Amino acid sequence: MGRGNMERGPFLTLLFDPARVFRELADAERTRIRAIQRYLPLLLLLPPACAALGGIVFGWRLGASEPLYLGTAQAVIVSLLYLFALCFGFFSTVALARWMGVTYGAEGSYRVYVALFTVVCAPLAVASLAHLFPHVFFNVLVMIPAVIWSMALLYRGLPVVLHIPPERGMLMSSALVGWLLVAAVSLLGISAGLWTAGLGPAIRI
Amino acid sequence: MQRQNPEIYEDRVVVRLVQFSVLWAVLGMAAGVWVAAEFLWPTLDFGQFWLSFGRLRPLHTNAVIFGFGVSALMATGFYSVQRTSHVRLFLPGLAWFCCYAWQLVVLLGGLSLLAGWTSSKEYAELEWPFDIAIALIWVCFGIVFFGTIARRRIRPIYISNWFYGGLIIVIAMLHIVNSLALPVTLDKSYSLYAGAQDAIVQWWYGHNAVGFLLTGGFLGMLYYFLPKQADQPIWSYRLSVVAFWAFTYSYIWAGPHHLHYNAVPEWVQSTAMVMSLVLLAPSWATLINGVMTVSKAWAKLKRDPALKFIVLSLAFYGLATFEGPMMAIRSVNVVSHFTDWTIGHVHSGALGWNAMVTYGTFYFLVPRLVGAELHSTRLANLHFVLALAGTLLYILAMWASGVSQGLLWLSVDRLGELSFGFRDIMAGMRPYYGLRLVAGLLFWGGTLLMAYNLFMTLRGRRTVAVSPPPVAEPWRLERGAAGIATERARA
Repeated sequence: MGRGNMERGPFLTLLFDPARVFRELADAERTRIRAIQRYLPLLLLLPPACAALGGIVFGWRLGASEPLYLGTAQAVIVSLLYLFALCFGFFSTVALARWMGVTYGAEGSYRVYVALFTVVCAPLAVASLAHLFPHVFFNVLVMIPAVIWSMALLYRGLPVVLHIPPERGMLMSSALVGWLLVAAVSLLGISAGLWTAGLGPAIRI
Repeated sequence: MQRQNPEIYEDRVVVRLVQFSVLWAVLGMAAGVWVAAEFLWPTLDFGQFWLSFGRLRPLHTNAVIFGFGVSALMATGFYSVQRTSHVRLFLPGLAWFCCYAWQLVVLLGGLSLLAGWTSSKEYAELEWPFDIAIALIWVCFGIVFFGTIARRRIRPIYISNWFYGGLIIVIAMLHIVNSLALPVTLDKSYSLYAGAQDAIVQWWYGHNAVGFLLTGGFLGMLYYFLPKQADQPIWSYRLSVVAFWAFTYSYIWAGPHHLHYNAVPEWVQSTAMVMSLVLLAPSWATLINGVMTVSKAWAKLKRDPALKFIVLSLAFYGLATFEGPMMAIRSVNVVSHFTDWTIGHVHSGALGWNAMVTYGTFYFLVPRLVGAELHSTRLANLHFVLALAGTLLYILAMWASGVSQGLLWLSVDRLGELSFGFRDIMAGMRPYYGLRLVAGLLFWGGTLLMAYNLFMTLRGRRTVAVSPPPVAEPWRLERGAAGIATERARA
């Protein structure tokens, strides 16, 4: 019956019954791993697509009286770079986690790691629908619960899927949170550097 | 043959410093929360000058850095230097003088800030009478610390002492040089430096105060208490020593990155930027050392709430020490400078690193000092959740408002004119300041829980008397006639 649910609505299962998904991943069930991996391209595409659409139609609302608009070409370029950054962030996190896994005694194939992080990043990707209306504070309000949700999935799921004790999983998850915080702030820094270089909104230095 | 040692460690002064540190944490963070609320409701100053942002903000920074932070560093420094030297504190009376005199300076200095006395130098606002007092107390701190090391009974000087020693020497140098001034009245003096030179000296001080006090000093704390809590040796002692010297060499150059695009020579800015980037290597060497040390102590997490604080503090240490060099890059700094991004960066270090590593250390230290269990592990776990939530919320809110401000400050219209006014931009930031207030209240609430928990743990208990253990033969140092350690001639 459980499997039936997974087949009927795997994406919702991913979001709302992660404990079962983690158990199945821990058993390395190939069909489950493939089912989850199918959603990875969608989850990676969703944030930049929503950001491009929102930026072109509504403009970036940063708290001032007028929104900042990007030209369509600029918005597409920025979104493509966003997609590239997300792909790099996702796969570098997988690679880093596998590298760390040796220290923490984790077990799991590359595919299991990819599936685990697909589940972990799913709430963030879904929350990025908020990019359709790029009012920054609105996005912050939506993304904060998503960040908490994703962190909870990481802390709960990682020890189950990678077959390590919960305490050891807490250490590995915290190390990954450190890495992800660095990745997030890197994204801000790279964005600022690109704006200064002339890509993005019109600013003068 | 091992001899009985009648000495007892001087730990009562450690307990008193911890108590003062917690008190300043509560008061200093309360001032921070009040200031955060004034961003939303400016009339909270009730028309009183002493409640205005300009006076409460330096009170907040001085109380948390010099009250909470330095008291914690003195406490942990005095505690660890005795254990790593296998000898009682040198001149315990002078240590007690440092303890009380420091609190008096922080108290009176704080009141002077509320009264409007200020040198107007950030993190060095206190006027010349306090500067002289600070220099004298700091020298006394150094005499106690280095005197203890000189009388040590063990040959190696453990790595934590190098960081504490670096803290004492460099902060003395920075404070004395930056505070040189011509006094004109009791409450007013003028800096000995002028214009751009004053700015360069100020940020040489300001950045290295962050470096050698908030980073180096707390690394001393980490290097002693992390292996103790984890019950594991440092993963790589050699890496810790290399990191110390690389850190000491590279940090001192980085100050002028606070002055990008200002009236200082461009080569000075570029040198500071490059050295800031170089700084990432020694900072992360310590991070790796810490993460690898704690990675073997996972079994202790189940019963030790203190270790959780240390684990998360390492994550935020990694973030802050990466974010700093990144923000020192000129093309990033032009967007981030003068925005809330800087405030967020400072607090990712101050809350996530400094406060969390101190909280973890206090939860470990206080029960051992009085030979009791922590009053409530549940409260400590709740504190951990509040501290983590508060820090994350603070950082996220300030990232969003900071980046928005950076873009809006610099936005131009088709005619090349600035698109938005300062007041309009600041008015748009109110929702983020609401989030920051919530974050501050969460973090402060957690600190209150810790204060209660530690108070109940200490209540009615005496400090445990601990004697230095004997030192094994290859490492033992004999004391000479003058009380100074001399290396025992080894056959």
